[in-house]
Amino acid sequence: MIGRVLITLLSHYKRHPAQLLMLLVGLWVASALWSSVQAINATAKESYARANALFSAETDQLDRRDGNPLTIDDYLTLRRAGLPVSPLLEASFTHNGTRFTVLGIDPFTLPSSGAGGETLNDFITPPWQTQLAPDTLPAFGLSREEATGATPTVGGQTLPPLTLRNDLPPDTLIMDIAAASNLFGEQATLSLVTAPAALDQPPDGYRITRAANLASPEQLTDSFHLNLTALALLSLVVGLFIVQAALGLAMEQRLATLRTLRALGVPATTLTLAILMELLVFGVLGASLGLISGLWLAGKLLPDVASTISSLYRTDVQQSLSLPWHYWLGSVAITLGGLLLAGSGTLWRAARLNVLALGQSFAWRSGYQRQLTRMLKAGGLAALLTLGLALWLSRLPAGSGLVVSFSLVAALLLTCALCLPPLLYGVLHTLQKVFRRFALMQWAVADMQLQLPRLSLAMVALLIALATNLGVSSMVGGFRLTFLEWLDQRLSAPLYINAVPSTLAPLNEWLLTQESVLETLPTARGSTDLLATPSSTNTELTSQGTVTLFGVSASPLLTANWPLLDTHGDAASAWQALGGDSVFINEQMAIARALIPGDIVTLDTRQGADNFKVAAIYPDYGNPQQQILLTVEALTQRFDGELASIGVALNENADERQFRQTLMNEFNLSSEALVNQQEVKQIATQIFERTFSITRALNGLTLGVAALALLATLLAQAHQRQRQLAALWALGVPRATLVKLPLIQLGGLALLTALIALPLGIAITWLLVAVINVAAFGWRLPLQLFPLDIVTMLLTAIGVALLAAALPCVQLWRTSPRALLNEGDT
Amino acid sequence: MNRHWLRILALSAMGFMSLSGCSEGGTESSPPAQEGFAGLGAQAEGFAHADASTPLIFPDDHGPHPDYRIEWWYLTANLEDETGEPLGLQWTLFRQALMPPQERPAPTPWASDQVWMAHMGISQQDTHLAAERFARSHSAQPEGQAGVIAVPFQAWIDDWTLQSPSDDNFERFTLTAYSGEGDERFGYELTLQAEGPLVWHGENGFNAKTVEGQGSHYYSQPFLTIAGSVTLHGEPREVQGKGWLDREWSSQLLTPEQTGWDWFSLHLHDGRKLMAYRLRGGGENGGDYLFAHLFDAEGNTQQIGTDILTLTPLSSARVAERDIPTRWQLTLPNAEIDVTIEARHPNRWMPTSVPYWEGDVIVRNTPTQEETGVGYLEMTGYE
Repeated sequence: MIGRVLITLLSHYKRHPAQLLMLLVGLWVASALWSSVQAINATAKESYARANALFSAETDQLDRRDGNPLTIDDYLTLRRAGLPVSPLLEASFTHNGTRFTVLGIDPFTLPSSGAGGETLNDFITPPWQTQLAPDTLPAFGLSREEATGATPTVGGQTLPPLTLRNDLPPDTLIMDIAAASNLFGEQATLSLVTAPAALDQPPDGYRITRAANLASPEQLTDSFHLNLTALALLSLVVGLFIVQAALGLAMEQRLATLRTLRALGVPATTLTLAILMELLVFGVLGASLGLISGLWLAGKLLPDVASTISSLYRTDVQQSLSLPWHYWLGSVAITLGGLLLAGSGTLWRAARLNVLALGQSFAWRSGYQRQLTRMLKAGGLAALLTLGLALWLSRLPAGSGLVVSFSLVAALLLTCALCLPPLLYGVLHTLQKVFRRFALMQWAVADMQLQLPRLSLAMVALLIALATNLGVSSMVGGFRLTFLEWLDQRLSAPLYINAVPSTLAPLNEWLLTQESVLETLPTARGSTDLLATPSSTNTELTSQGTVTLFGVSASPLLTANWPLLDTHGDAASAWQALGGDSVFINEQMAIARALIPGDIVTLDTRQGADNFKVAAIYPDYGNPQQQILLTVEALTQRFDGELASIGVALNENADERQFRQTLMNEFNLSSEALVNQQEVKQIATQIFERTFSITRALNGLTLGVAALALLATLLAQAHQRQRQLAALWALGVPRATLVKLPLIQLGGLALLTALIALPLGIAITWLLVAVINVAAFGWRLPLQLFPLDIVTMLLTAIGVALLAAALPCVQLWRTSPRALLNEGDT
Repeated sequence: MNRHWLRILALSAMGFMSLSGCSEGGTESSPPAQEGFAGLGAQAEGFAHADASTPLIFPDDHGPHPDYRIEWWYLTANLEDETGEPLGLQWTLFRQALMPPQERPAPTPWASDQVWMAHMGISQQDTHLAAERFARSHSAQPEGQAGVIAVPFQAWIDDWTLQSPSDDNFERFTLTAYSGEGDERFGYELTLQAEGPLVWHGENGFNAKTVEGQGSHYYSQPFLTIAGSVTLHGEPREVQGKGWLDREWSSQLLTPEQTGWDWFSLHLHDGRKLMAYRLRGGGENGGDYLFAHLFDAEGNTQQIGTDILTLTPLSSARVAERDIPTRWQLTLPNAEIDVTIEARHPNRWMPTSVPYWEGDVIVRNTPTQEETGVGYLEMTGYE
């Protein structure tokens, strides 16, 4: 019997294919966006796991204090002294446009030997082996089948025979250190690594960089993936709005059928089961469609995600999807779960169907008003939740509470979503009174009230999408402006020279003797242990740990432009103090350790623990680490640091090309060692644009989903609408007016929704730049609004509504008056 | 003896630390079928072969023989601490050639044709601590991370060293090896003094290991007196006692059928020393291959040969999920020796990349059960 019932129920969609389409589209978009983001997250997680498994990720590293490169003699000396160091020879090359990292390892001493493979013997003896992950093969033009044992030629050199290892990061080649040394010789850099914390103290003449200094990629990128997940969840919710609208409509229209079935003796349980099965059929179909297009979408987005993560966190993510079994299961389960949630109302009504109740088209009135009251109450509760979360968040230390912040955004959206229908109803109610004297307008408003139960869901979807869209685009736009301005300020020298630290010192001396050089701006890098900070108020803050040091020269050329967020006294005196016992700290550090200008921090210097005053806080966008700024002299004399680069400002009449040539010849530098300001800016801007392209893409897609929701809702009830318009037609209202009427109705409603979305969007922007960004990236952005974005948003809302209204209108325009009147009869 | 080769070979034959990641933990690996224990029975084409026609030449032979596939410097010691509590230790440096001499890579930086492995073990009562180290080197570059120099004698891997002063080569030694930090730290710093001559095991120092003639060059310094400091659990203590240093090199020790051995080095209280072993398989008609060498306090041979002794396991203990014979009866009828040999504690398992059992033993007269000596026992190939 259940089969027949099911067929009877499904026959409804034969008569109303638009409803079926809307249902499937809803499921499809919801599931597609969700599964694509989950696919991206799963792939990225696997990449992190692979990177973590690679030895270099979790080792302490030794360097010479004198800045000279390490040699095999350093290795032998340290081993003979009993230090458990292992050599790591690193080189890179570009082949077919892909940049490869080659790691030469010594499997005998590696802390956790990543050396794998069939036999150690083949790895360590000629012709050696090149180990690589299968997804690195395409760059060599090799297929998986022909890979093993192949010996690709790279820049005239033949690589050792290839061996596949799934657990390696992409574009990374592992080989024995002897093989790497033979291939790359002088171009390769030797480092010496030890297991984390294997050495308490660095040996004399060396310094140690702790693995703990570099948070694992997974920690760093957590917040990024949380952002993605939040956007995907939003799309899922918006998609499910469409589904619920479709299901509700189908239920309404099938009430008579359902009653007939019950009257014919079909038990309520069978009916409910049949509807449940119907839901499952749609669910599986929609989830499958969603999965397929979700994977396609993820494949399109992944390269951008990969470059985002690599530029933000310097972590590589493979560029092809790699999905564990639980991904498939999870994606289908989420879609089905969402569908059941959306369909629970339908199921409930089917189970409690009153066989004797007659189909009353206007029974909705009292029912809907009750519903509105319930929504208002729920909205009140959601508002309380929002307040509670906001209170909680305000008590958390700055820079934490990422999940709370996202929950706050969700609660805020929920509050507005629940309050929107009662609000719209209220506005319409008022309008009805206002338009008492204009019959047609009064009819239009009354008609809107009639449509509201169905339309309100689409409007809620629109509201959420618009508000989020505005929030995210303002955040990205604001970040872009701030970042570019900051970049302009930071890049004060027209030319930058990068070379090994040992070359930089004599290079600087030489530069100072050149006539064409106006000024040099050397920078230095290092790290030290932070021994104490004054903020003991919050015990969750670790007051100790390693921080990176950055040295600059406090020349007017630099200080005039260097951006500062906050200073102790004025900026000039802060810069003056920088030479002595004062330091600047970056915003990330100020937030993470709750420091303000004037605080004292204790640092481990070469002369022992010493106190430094925080004179200023500077913005440091894009840096995942906490950093302290000092002068180059202070850094190199009092801490373990070395020169990192030199900025050069030339005299006005100097010939830059000539200067470059002389410099390259004098110090045997490659042309890549010299970068001019424009190039740096260009690269940084490029990185930035790619960083947020993923956010933009998802943002646009969400708005698209909302437009679809609105369109689907209107299409689904277009037929019904014509019936109501037929009556007006019969009363003599001109067809031109009849066509304009729905456009005005819907356009007005959409405009109203968009106006409500505006403050909501601004609130979300604020949460994003001032709370979520701080927790996720460690920096705060000024709240910036872009009028053009706001206008675009309003126009989008009205445009979507008009488009959705236009299609039924065109239909109406084409319908002959007779047919319209016939509709009225049915 | 054939002891230890094991592991070395293992390097090539089965990729022992193979790989996947554990170099210090000790991977359990089983030898490939038909290559003897740890691949020591594998064919060794292209390598120099041990035979009786090559005489031992000193001091050169204290140094490495890179043309042979495997080699070791192997010290065991039966000591006592200040309280008279017995304490055993071993220190071993193994060398293995990665390829025959004609296939060696050019001696570029990091290129290697030799792999070195060292084991350190200390045992007292139920405590047994072990550590392991690895290194690579090229035979054309002797001053590497690990190596051996004949004069003045020096054998090292990292900071673990066994060396002689230049005026007393191979007569006096210092041995230093430590592992771990703080409470985990263990190791020793010892001086060793030879009180007797070197002893050669077999014709010209060639010791056959099978009836087919496979074998090794093998000599020992069994007359060492030792004093110094041993650290256990971060606590140093003074020790003194006797030591036995073995030198052995070969390219193919075993036949492919030989799967393991039981090897004894005994200091008898009457001043005599006894080296004896049983190779399981490889004897007449597929039986075991037994060998013993009994010599007096001056190093003069009293008994030597393949058919002069019996070795019988008396009881086993469950160690590292294996049944290991920890109590033995050894008889040497022509020398009126009938002794029971028992491990001081079954827990002497070396959980190294190629695992084996090695520990200190007590020697008792079988009829009277009176203690007549101490020594060391090594057992390999028990699965």
